[in-house]
Amino acid sequence: MISEVFKNVFGKKKTSAVKPQDLSFQKLGLQLKEDIDGVFGRSLAVRELDSGSDNAAEIEVNNLAAPYYDAERFGITFVASPRHADVILITGAITLNMAAAVKKTFDAMPQPGLVVAVGDDACDGGILKGTYAVLGGADRMLHVDVKIPGNPPSPEEIMVGLVTLMAQIKMKTRTG
Amino acid sequence: MQTIIEELEGRFKATPLAISVPGKNQKAVYLKTGEKSVPEIMLLLEGKGVILADLFAAENFDGDKFSLFYIFEKRDDPVMMVLVVGIDEAKAASVAAHFPGACYYEREVADGFGIEFTRAFDKRRLFLHEVYPEGFHPLLKSFENKPLDIDYSKLVKEYPFRKCSGEGIYQIPVGPVHAGVIEPGHFRFHAIGETIFNLEIRHFYTHRGLEKLAEGKTPLECCAVAESVSGDESAANVTALTMAVEEICGIKVPLRAWCIRTILLELERVYSHLGDLAGMAIDVAFPLGAAAFFNMREETLRQNGALTGSRFSKGIIVPGGLNRDIAQSKLGGLQAYTNDFVARLEKAVADIKASGWVIDRFETTGTIDKALAAPLNLSGPVARASGVQVDTRIDHPYGIYEKLRVEEYPREGGDVLARFLVKADEIKNSIRLIQDVLDQTGGGPVFEKYEAIEGYAMSMVEAARGQNLHWLWLKNGRVERYKVRTASFCNWPVIEHAVVGNIVADFPVINKSLNLSYAGNDL
Repeated sequence: MISEVFKNVFGKKKTSAVKPQDLSFQKLGLQLKEDIDGVFGRSLAVRELDSGSDNAAEIEVNNLAAPYYDAERFGITFVASPRHADVILITGAITLNMAAAVKKTFDAMPQPGLVVAVGDDACDGGILKGTYAVLGGADRMLHVDVKIPGNPPSPEEIMVGLVTLMAQIKMKTRTG
Repeated sequence: MQTIIEELEGRFKATPLAISVPGKNQKAVYLKTGEKSVPEIMLLLEGKGVILADLFAAENFDGDKFSLFYIFEKRDDPVMMVLVVGIDEAKAASVAAHFPGACYYEREVADGFGIEFTRAFDKRRLFLHEVYPEGFHPLLKSFENKPLDIDYSKLVKEYPFRKCSGEGIYQIPVGPVHAGVIEPGHFRFHAIGETIFNLEIRHFYTHRGLEKLAEGKTPLECCAVAESVSGDESAANVTALTMAVEEICGIKVPLRAWCIRTILLELERVYSHLGDLAGMAIDVAFPLGAAAFFNMREETLRQNGALTGSRFSKGIIVPGGLNRDIAQSKLGGLQAYTNDFVARLEKAVADIKASGWVIDRFETTGTIDKALAAPLNLSGPVARASGVQVDTRIDHPYGIYEKLRVEEYPREGGDVLARFLVKADEIKNSIRLIQDVLDQTGGGPVFEKYEAIEGYAMSMVEAARGQNLHWLWLKNGRVERYKVRTASFCNWPVIEHAVVGNIVADFPVINKSLNLSYAGNDL
């Protein structure tokens, strides 16, 4: 028992085995952390909203939070409610069945709420453009700050989108 | 099935339909019958223990205004029977009394075509929510696909959920927007204290009108539609579509193309199941245990990316084979990657098994009764974890699966633990299948020219979540009707049974252990 405790306290930690595996992502993350610090002080609260995607984009957003990327170390937090969110990542074209819920979710955000469209369908409707069941891309209902194309965009591309969002805000505050 | 078919031909004068090309691997026998004999036929079929695998409608098929297609499967029988019933008016008798699974299908047909089912148990709308106007039926040929001018902000009606009342019963509405990063869907709980007394699901929030969207497209254009049915089943669904096209035009896909398709299909199962194992560990608050599965899933997605340029293997599988070859060196890279995969997975699973509190949460949680499998047509790991041996790769082999050693790992428990272990075993089997296929993959072409003009065909694949059934009807080289029925569509209703008597806090892990697709259900 005592030897177990000693082993746990002084032994090699399981977490020490996890090294940054992806250097280009690491670089991007540090850049984003600096930007977030500059704009938001501490962290950026992100809320994901599926308005009718095929679920691939959510998987990639999920992957950002998973240990391989672990984007939370760069100041992004995935929050459980729009009421806590600075930015909404919206995935998929807005379906008619989701339209009311999308509006309510955005309205529940503290304003000004930022919106990032993730994936081709969210950007402009993608292959769903013109069907009866969708309104179109996210900008049919919301003011979209950044569009990240891709079918779906990779976690790294989503990060690039967030860096772009920060740059945009910085530019606005400077000129405004 | 053959004796049933003969009996139907003899007693009810059901006539075989001239099928364009008889299925080579997946044999489907089409029988046509009049509307009047349907009740008696259903009674007879119910007694024979067949399963209703699909029910959908088409317009102007074989000289009838509407045709209803009832597809039946018998366990351990490779022959599928498609009963085609022509109706002139938009009215038919419900068969839900004989096949409970029909309830969902009939509501779907009613929404799509405006066909009324007499004596149906449930006549509420299904994929058309309240926002859609009355009398709107998108799958009718008279409706030209175009955006609707609808004011979505004015909700006038409410969906009539089932009512539950009594002392101490309260409601918990959850969704469509959830706390986690997942797809939208609504869950209406009735709870007594912490215990779930009743659950009703309400989905179809991601209904994108994919079946209508497919109409008028060429088979090649339709691939993108199939891939977006459910993002993490894109290889499975596009393979099913291409199989139907290939059957209609009667071509043989080159062996190398089938080898690569099989590798992509099994990789899809691997990353999908890995995500489920990680999710189950997360949902009982064990992120350290989940980390290994998450990392391996990321590696698998990267293997997909290296092979196809898409982390979800989109845009490579086309009718006739593949639209480009994959270099042998890349396949070699995959082979090297799989070398220590099984050992690493076993280590990660052992870590979970060694954690008593995790097993404690998994065991006897969300139990699914084996008896529900046939009436609801459960398939995939969900069915196999409840002791039902079904796997389309074995029961209705396609491509090169007949020559491969697909193993089944049935478990009797039917609980979250059983589903966890079944999925873990299936990943190992998929990796072995990939290794076997890589050993056999020789050179050669990956594409066979095809010309698909007229005809119809059905095809089935075993996606990560179970059996997906596609039915394609081509006319003048374009899609006239495309019906997709995913395993999620059949498996979703079982969650209403699985959660009863569990505590509300266990719902996430039960849901994750089933891991059904919302998009694949909603289309």
